[in-house]
Formats: sequence, structure tokens, C-alpha cells
Amino acid sequence: MWYIGKRLLQSVFTLFIIITIVFSLLRLMPEEGYLGAAAEKMTPEQQEIILTNLGLRDPLLVQLGNFYMDLFKGDLGTSVTYRTDVPVTTIISEKIMYSLFFGLGAVALSLIIGVPLGILMAHMKGRWLDRLGTGYIVFVVAVPAAVYYIFIQMYVTDIFNLPLLFDEYNKMSWILPLTSMALAPTASYAMWMRRYMVDELNKDYIKLARAKGVKERTLMFRHVMRNAFIPMAQYLPATILFTITGSIYIESLYSIPGMGGLLVDAIQRQDNSVVQGLVLIFSSLGIIGLFLGDLAMALVDPRIKLGKGGSTR
Amino acid sequence: MRKLWLLLLAAMTALVLAACSEEGGESSGGEVAEYRTVYSGEIKTLNYLKTAEANEFAMSANLIDGLIEYDQYGIVQPSLAEEWSVNEDNTVWTFKLREGVKWVTNEGEEYADVVAQDFVDGLNYVLDAKNESSTAWIATVVKNGDAFYNGEVTDFSEVGVKAIDEYTVEYTMENPTPYFLSMLNYVCFFPVNGEFLAEQGEAFGTTKETTLYNGAFILDKFESQNERVLVKNDTYWDKENVFIDRIRYKYNKEALTVAPELFLRGEIDSAEIPTSVVDEWFNDEEKKSQLRQIRNNFYTYFYALNFNPQFDAEYEPENWKVAVNNKNFRKSLYHALDRVSAMLTTEPFEPESLLNNTITPKNFVDVDGVDYTQLAPLADISNTDSFNADLALEFKEKAMAELDGKATFPVKVVIPYNSGSPDWANRTQVVEQQLENLLGADYIDLIVEAGPSTGFLSEVRHPGKYALLEANWGPDYADPASYTDPFSEGGTYNKPELAEGYTDTNGKSKYQNLVDAAKAEMDPAKRYELFAQAEAFLIEEAFVIPYAVGGTGYIASKLNPFEAQYSPFGVTLEKFKGQRLLDEPMSNDEFKEALAAWEQERAEALANAGE
Amino acid sequence: MGIYSEEISNISQKSNENLFDFATVDEQKAEQTGYSNYSYWRSTWQFFLKNRIAVFLLVVVGLIVAFVIIQPYLPYQKSPTEIYIDEQTGSQARNIAPGSEFWFGTNSIGQDLWSRIWEGTRTSLFIGFVVALAEVAVGISVGALWGFSRKLEAPITQVYNIVENIPTTIVLILMSFILRPSISTIIIAMCITGWVEMARFIRNQIVILRDREYNLASKCLGTPSYRIILKNLLPYLISVIMLRMSLAIPFAIGAEVFLTYIGLGLPISEPSLGNLINEGRVLMMSPDLRYQLIFPSVVLSIITIAFYIIGNAFADAADPKNHV
Repeated sequence: MWYIGKRLLQSVFTLFIIITIVFSLLRLMPEEGYLGAAAEKMTPEQQEIILTNLGLRDPLLVQLGNFYMDLFKGDLGTSVTYRTDVPVTTIISEKIMYSLFFGLGAVALSLIIGVPLGILMAHMKGRWLDRLGTGYIVFVVAVPAAVYYIFIQMYVTDIFNLPLLFDEYNKMSWILPLTSMALAPTASYAMWMRRYMVDELNKDYIKLARAKGVKERTLMFRHVMRNAFIPMAQYLPATILFTITGSIYIESLYSIPGMGGLLVDAIQRQDNSVVQGLVLIFSSLGIIGLFLGDLAMALVDPRIKLGKGGSTR
Repeated sequence: MRKLWLLLLAAMTALVLAACSEEGGESSGGEVAEYRTVYSGEIKTLNYLKTAEANEFAMSANLIDGLIEYDQYGIVQPSLAEEWSVNEDNTVWTFKLREGVKWVTNEGEEYADVVAQDFVDGLNYVLDAKNESSTAWIATVVKNGDAFYNGEVTDFSEVGVKAIDEYTVEYTMENPTPYFLSMLNYVCFFPVNGEFLAEQGEAFGTTKETTLYNGAFILDKFESQNERVLVKNDTYWDKENVFIDRIRYKYNKEALTVAPELFLRGEIDSAEIPTSVVDEWFNDEEKKSQLRQIRNNFYTYFYALNFNPQFDAEYEPENWKVAVNNKNFRKSLYHALDRVSAMLTTEPFEPESLLNNTITPKNFVDVDGVDYTQLAPLADISNTDSFNADLALEFKEKAMAELDGKATFPVKVVIPYNSGSPDWANRTQVVEQQLENLLGADYIDLIVEAGPSTGFLSEVRHPGKYALLEANWGPDYADPASYTDPFSEGGTYNKPELAEGYTDTNGKSKYQNLVDAAKAEMDPAKRYELFAQAEAFLIEEAFVIPYAVGGTGYIASKLNPFEAQYSPFGVTLEKFKGQRLLDEPMSNDEFKEALAAWEQERAEALANAGE
Repeated sequence: MGIYSEEISNISQKSNENLFDFATVDEQKAEQTGYSNYSYWRSTWQFFLKNRIAVFLLVVVGLIVAFVIIQPYLPYQKSPTEIYIDEQTGSQARNIAPGSEFWFGTNSIGQDLWSRIWEGTRTSLFIGFVVALAEVAVGISVGALWGFSRKLEAPITQVYNIVENIPTTIVLILMSFILRPSISTIIIAMCITGWVEMARFIRNQIVILRDREYNLASKCLGTPSYRIILKNLLPYLISVIMLRMSLAIPFAIGAEVFLTYIGLGLPISEPSLGNLINEGRVLMMSPDLRYQLIFPSVVLSIITIAFYIIGNAFADAADPKNHV
């Protein structure tokens, strides 16, 4: 318990510093961006008045103080240039469901495919399935996602006559974004699973068990898989969160109104309050993910007790 | 209840439509005329008093009506104002309002009448600096507008707008403003219901519920980055002239890329066709008849020669300064620029159709049916192409002789572009190669530089970090004065007032004096002639090289652009009122025919209006 | 201890002096036990050569890098930025399909795609190498300090937690926004977050290795620490470093593609694989022009996959455990 409290405190401190850094970085953005298309025609005095009203002329510390005061009250502020005067929380809550759905859906899909694939590959090490799987993993991990996403959208929609774009009411249009999003995590789950299984299989206790005549199946499921799951458990929460937040390509290619697209838009429009809100959420998610990972690891692996060892993985 | 039925009907037609389109059959849309399109730029607010961006203008144009509107030839017509008058010296404008026009909610329920006070409230909101309106700079044309905005005047009743009675509104100008009518279609002069505005406070215009409508359409659905639906306003005062029942905007981040495909699949009714695929459309029998040019707009594009160069010392700004102050050097660039080859980067099929030989585009203003660009000294310039290789080389020889010993050759010419625009980047590379090839690498050395995509103006143009720059300008009101602003003293463009050898006895530059004289003249015929002289001087001295007008590209659309209201000012061009859905998209040949017919009809209409 | 002491007492009880004899010193034999013809690098190389695919790809990468360097000096090469003019029409040779004149066709303003792709590959590889080198340099120094110094451990851990948790995307986008678009901007933006992973890797390896029995043994035997680092730790780390480096290159190329995708990449007057692909992406809906997307994509895929596989194969080969 003491450990959890300490970790929590540390996390809040980390979060505080992250937000402060991003906050300061945002203040370096070109001022023209805040004024929009009309900047060209305004007199310098008019521009100055608008910038002052936006609070951009206050000293950085005052701006930061105001931001934390509001944050303390649970107020993330209102959007300025993304959707004028709409509370940031409203904007984010509209988007988060899409990201959650596709993020969790993709993770579920990739777990369902990736884990068995990894196990099979480890089992058939060196045979064609293993090679095929390795080829797939290498491709997906090495080639930038944007490239194969584009090709999938270009050719697969043609071949299977699927819609080009996401449409809430047309379930067929959900297939491609979901599967595309699942490609990368599937590969990494399969890769981990395979690696840990192979490592485990080479361990002495397995060799001993084999020598003792334990059935291959029991060996696989009772011993190897359980141990191979342990490192996975640590990474799982983080990857789930990563998938939820890191789908900028998919969201923009299929025009899904989610958080990834929101982030890019908000930065491009220099909507500081929205960016700050998103950074807050993304970073908290990241920190929670780390924390959950350690927790999960402790739950699965009886050898690990929280509070011992270093604070990093 | 009615609304429910409508929705049900809509849902059913949508189903039928969907069924139809699966078979690839023609769908005329039944009784509901629906116009569907995709967009990638989301609107940020419905608060028309605050915004100045094209996407939001497109909304307010159809949701809110102002005092006047235009017909399809660009002649002012009554809208919320039935009639108006102006005093002798163009300083007091009085408008008599149409009675019985309603504000309605997004449910279509009547909220209140549109009255004179609404126009006062609207302007009050805009000129209140704390509301951060982006169009306040236009509204300061009224008396004490600027003073109120800056806080020098705190009592709004001192500002030049008054509700004389319930249906009469009166504007008093800061200076004589003969062109005030043309400013009325800017959102800052739109009415707002003061009571509703106060009630909503900060939330005004953030959702469809927190907005009131008096225009041709009502916002039925507004889901950010998903979908917007506009439906026809049944209480609209002029609903006989609204022929589209529903407008559906579907969000798509990649709209530019996928829209052509969606159009071919019959999923949308309008799609801009990117230059890169226009070839393919023209080469395809079926697609060929479905696309046409986009209509030119009134943005003017020109290459500005910088008289206040502040770029990096390694590119020798002082040397450029010496060169640019030599008229022959400027003229050599002026005649050397092959504008057609530059234009090929955006319009590869009919580049000439977009070229503009003057700063002010044609069809902007006229004197008794004679277009401004055809007035005396300007006519010669507008009727000849500036590109002339022989002349360019001739001027080069002269310049090299005159500048011998004063400037070092080749002169380094820094030509930046905005890296956010691929077309611009391509064009700059073309210009670099073309100019260097024609004038010779011994004469000039163009240095192409990528500027930032945001903050380009404040990092490149305003601080003068360029030698030659493609720049543009859009007019704000129906007077040639609007096109002189960039080059006047205090402008943020190429600072022609710093050109050496052009200072008159009063200490001002020659160009400035010509413009000032024109501005002081109130008789339109004389006024325009004086402006034409000033503009001809600017181009003749090659302070700038006129290049093109805006509105590049091709579109596949089921709308007829010649039915739309026509005027470069404010939100006019965005109105759907008056437009009908065609069964088939207009082809480019049809477009050209219609354009020719329209130009003729327009000339007649203008001549009639002049009488 | 109990068991051993019993054995020892057993031995000492049963032994008598007859059993022991003084051995004569044989220099040759001593040399034989102390020396094996094991050479770390030779073994690594030999092991690597066993992986045929990796060797093949290494050759491919070698050829690509060599080609990219000498390509502009070869005969019949066109300039990547020159706009070619169609002699018949007198205007730009736009969107010409691949053929004998333009091997990979031309783009929308008449530039030669073949030379643009190699120019782009040059840029992208350059970015990749610089980023990888910077990551390795910063990552190793920070990671080593982190792992060795007990005083610095806590502060570096804190910094790590912070940098690790700022979403990389945000830093990338913000940096590209604030700075001007250029190669150095992209490199800086990527390095700011890139070193973190590397540092963590090195640190973990060092923490694991420094207390291993063989290192303790070396220490007990009086081996100086520099020798421990050079002979015991470095071979282990080399494999990790090489792996990270070869992975950093595809990732850097990927990040460049990402930045271009959201409109913050290199200006198109400086070709890179990222902006070539992005230019081609616009054309994805017109089959005739898709070659402008496919060619750069294929080159990019080959390069990234090759680096990835070579990196992994080398990591395997460099692992002394596999040399037995």
C-alpha cells in the first residue's frame, strides 16, 4: 500500500513536469496561428488586443498559474481555435468513444490472433508457418505504417468492394480500419510470445520435464505459456493505451472522428487548451499504463513483490 | 410533428437512394433535393460575429441573412433591407427593414422578429474587443468604431449605428464611404438577437441549439468531424427562391484525395478534382463530361519585388537592393517571367484563363459598363502579355551596363515559398529554372527557400526576408482603393515607397500621391480613372509583376455556378440560395458556353443598372 | 557448506601422500589450456554469414548505399530537381509513364522520378544515419552513467519517466511547428525523444551485466575495470547497440514519413522518401499514376526491411552466447 501511494505521488509529480514543459513549448508557437485567416487584414493594434485577450501577453508563470488553478477545479478551459468557446472536456468526450472502440477492438483482435500465432510459431520453430509469420512480423514492424495502410486502403477496398471511409452506420466500413489497426499489435504480440516461448523452451527445467516424459501438451500449456505470459502482462496495459492514442494514420485515412486526429488538428490550429488537455490525458494514460503493467506483473509472477527493486522496468 | 414526418421521409428517401445507388442507377432524389458533399476543414464555430474563415462563412451565408444581397450578375438587391438611402457626402446610410422576418430556433420554432436593434446589437458585439471578433477591422469603417474597439470611447451610443425605429437602422461613417453597401455582406454587419445573445453568453454559436437562424437554411445536425446537415427554413421570407431542400456535409480528413472517387460512385454531388488527376479524367470517355473549371475569384496573385530586403547576409541583400532600384533590372524580370509555365503547375490545361495582367482583376468594378481594367492607361497593360523574351534580354543588357561596377552579378534572388503548399513549391522551382534559363546564370541566381507552413507571413513576408515573392491580396469592398492597400505606406508587402528616385516634393512617394488623389475624388468615373493611372504606374515601373487570379482548378459538381449570387465581398459567393441541383454535372464545354452567355448578360445588366 | 565440508573431510581422510606427485611444468600444455583460437569478431562474422537472407540483404543495402552515393555521377542520369520540357508541346513533361526516357516516369511538374527517388533515398538515409548515431551517442553516455553511477540513478530515472511519458508524436509535431522545415529540424525533433529508449536499453544491460558472476570473478582476479568494460561488457553491448542502431534507421525513416504525412515534413524541393510517398499518395485514386506512389514505397520498404533484418541477424551473431 505504501508503495502504491509513493508511486502515485511520483506519477503526479511527473505529470506536473510534463504538462509544464508542453505548456511552455506551446507558447513558442508562431503568434500568427492564433489570429486565423483574418490576421492579414487586421491592424497591429487589433492583433495585439486579441493576443492580450487570449492571455498570451501575460508572463509565462502567470499563464501557468492560471492554468493550474483551473485544472485544480477540474476545468480544462475552453477551446479557442478548434471549436471556439466549447469546453475542452466536451470536445474530448465526443471523440473518446471512437478511439476507445477502435483501440480496444484492435487490441482484442490482435490478442486473439497474435498470441496463438506466436505460440504456433514457437511450436513449429523453423518450419514454414514460423517463416511466414516472421516475414509478416518483419514487414509490419520495419515498414512505416503509413505506407502499408495506404496500400491496404487502395487495393483492399477495391478487391472486396468495401467502403473507402468510416461511416458510423455502415458496419462494413468498420472492418478495414479495425484490421489495419490490429496489424502492428498482432505482430508485436506474436513476436513476444514467440520469443518468450522459445526462451522458455530452452530452459533447463523444461529439458528436465521433457526428459521425465511430461507430455508436450501439458508442457506447453502448464509450464511454458504461463511463464511466457509474465513479461507480456507487463507490456499489455501500455500497448492498449498506445493503440488507443496512437492511431493518427488510421483515423485520418478512414476519417474516423477520434482523438488522434484531434491532436494533430489542435496542434495545427494552435488550440493550446485542447492540446494541453490531450497531453494531460495521454500522459496520464501512459503513466497509468506503466503502473498497471507493474501491478499486473506482480499479480502474475509470484516472484515479484512490489516495492522491491528499482522503479523502472 | 411536421419535423418528425420530414425526418421519416428523409430516412426513407435515404434508404431508397442507397438502394438505388447500389444498382448504380440514376437517382433524381425524389421530391427532396439533397446536395451532398465532403469536407476536410472543420468549422470551429457558428458564431458568425466572431469568425473570419471561409469554412464558417459558408455556414453563416446560408443560415443568416444580412441587409442586402446580390443577383447572379453582381447587382445589389434588397434582402432584409427593403430600401436604403445615402446622404450627399456618402457618410450617413439609412436602411428600411423588411417587416415580419423571423428568427427561428434549430427546431424551426419562431423566436422573435428581426428588428433594427438586432443590427445595433450585432455591431456592438463585434466592436467589443473582449469578444475577439476577427472581422472587427471591417466594422471600424463606422464612426468611432476604432475608438470604441480600442477603448477610447466606452459609450456604444457614440458609435455610428442607430435604430431610428423598430424597422429603420442608420449607419454613420467615419469617412465618406461610397462603397459601404458592398461591405454589408461581411458577417460583422449581420444582425443578432440581443436577448438571445445575452442569454447564451459564451455558449452563443457553439452548437446548433445556441444559434438563431433567419436565413434560407436551418442547421439540423452539427457533429464536429462527422456530419453537418442544413435543411430549408420554412419560415424564410424568400423561400420561393430556395431550391435545395437539404445540404449534407460529410467530414473526411482526406476529402481532397477521395472526393473524386466518391463523386464517381454517386455518393456525393460535388468534388474538387485535384490537378494531379485532371489528366486522367479528361482522357476518360465517361469522366470527361463531368468536370469543369472552377470559376475565377477576385484574389489577385502577383510577384512582389522587395525594396526592403532583410534576408540573410550570405545572399547579399545589399546587392539585391542596388539591383532592384534599377528600372531596367526590374523590367528584365518583369518581361522574363513566363507566367504560363508557372501556371502549368496548378492549371495544366488552360493556364491562360487564369492569368491576370493587372493587380485588380477584371469584372471587379466598371464605369457605365466599361470594365475598370479597360480604362485608359491600364487598358494597354491588361491587353498584352508581360512575358517577352526579347524585351527581357534587351533590358538585361541595359541593366548590366548600368549596374556595372555597382552590383555584382549574378544577383542573388531569394525566392521563398510556403512549405505547406505543394503547388507553390512546384511553381517556385519552375520559376527558378525558367528565369535562370532565359536571363542566364551570369545575370541572376535564384535561391529557392522553404518557409514555414504556419507563420509564413510573420516570418517571411513581414520581416522582408525575400527578394522576389509570390503574394496575394483579396479585396474588401467594391472600390479599386481596396487593391492599393498592400502597396500603400504602412503596407506589409514589398514597400515600394522605399524605391529610390520616386519621391515627390511633398516627401511622399509618387505612387502614394497618385493613390491619395484618387481616394479624394468622389465622382466614380474620375475616381476610377485616377486609380487606373496609379495602378498602371505601379506595373509600368515593374514594382510588381501581376500574375494570376484565384480560383484555380477543376470541379465535378451538380450545381450551376451561374445561378449563384455573384459578388466578391463577404459571404456572398457561399450562398446556395437561387441554385438548383442539375441532373448531370456541367461539362467544361457547357461551362464555357454558360460563362460567355453570362458575361454578355452581365454587361447588359450592368448597363441597365447604370441607368 | 555442510555437504562440501563432509566431502573434503572424506577426501582428506582417504588420501595419503602416495596419491600426489609433483607435475613437471609443461609450457606448451599451459598455453593450450589458456588459449583458444576464439576471436570475438571472427565468430560474430562467421555466425552472421550463416544467415543467408541477412547476408543477401547486407549486400543489397551495401549496393543501395553505394549506388545512392555514385548515382549522380553515372551516365544518363537526370537531375532530381530539373523540370524537363516536352519538346513537342514546349511545356513541362508532366506525369509521363515510366519508359526509356524517364525510367520511373515523371511527376506532376516534369521532374524525373528515378533520380528523385535516389535523391530522396540519400536524404532519408542521411537522416536515418544521423539520428541513429545521435541516439547511440547520447543513449550510450546517458545509459552508462545511469547504470554505473549510483548517485545519478535517481535523477536520470526521473528524467526518463518524464521524457518517456510525453507522447513522441506531440514532441515531433511541436518541434516541427516551432522550427523551420528542414533536415536539421527533423533530425532534432527525432533525437529529442529517440535517445530515451537507447539509454534505457544500455542501462538495463549494464545493470544486468555488471553483477554477473564472470564479472565478479574477473574483479576478484584483479582485472582492471577498463578491461572488464572492454572485454566483458562491450561485446555484449555491441550486439544491443548494433541492433538498436539498425532499428533506429527504419524508425527514423518512418518518423519522417509520418511528419510529411501530417504536413510538417521536408519541403518538396528537397526530395525525401517521405515526401515522395506523400506526393504519390494524392494520386492513389488514379490507377494510371499510381507508379508515383509505388516506386518510392517499394524502395522504402526494401531499405527498412533490410536494415531491420540485418540488425536482428547481427544482434544474434554478436551475442557471445551463440558462439559456442
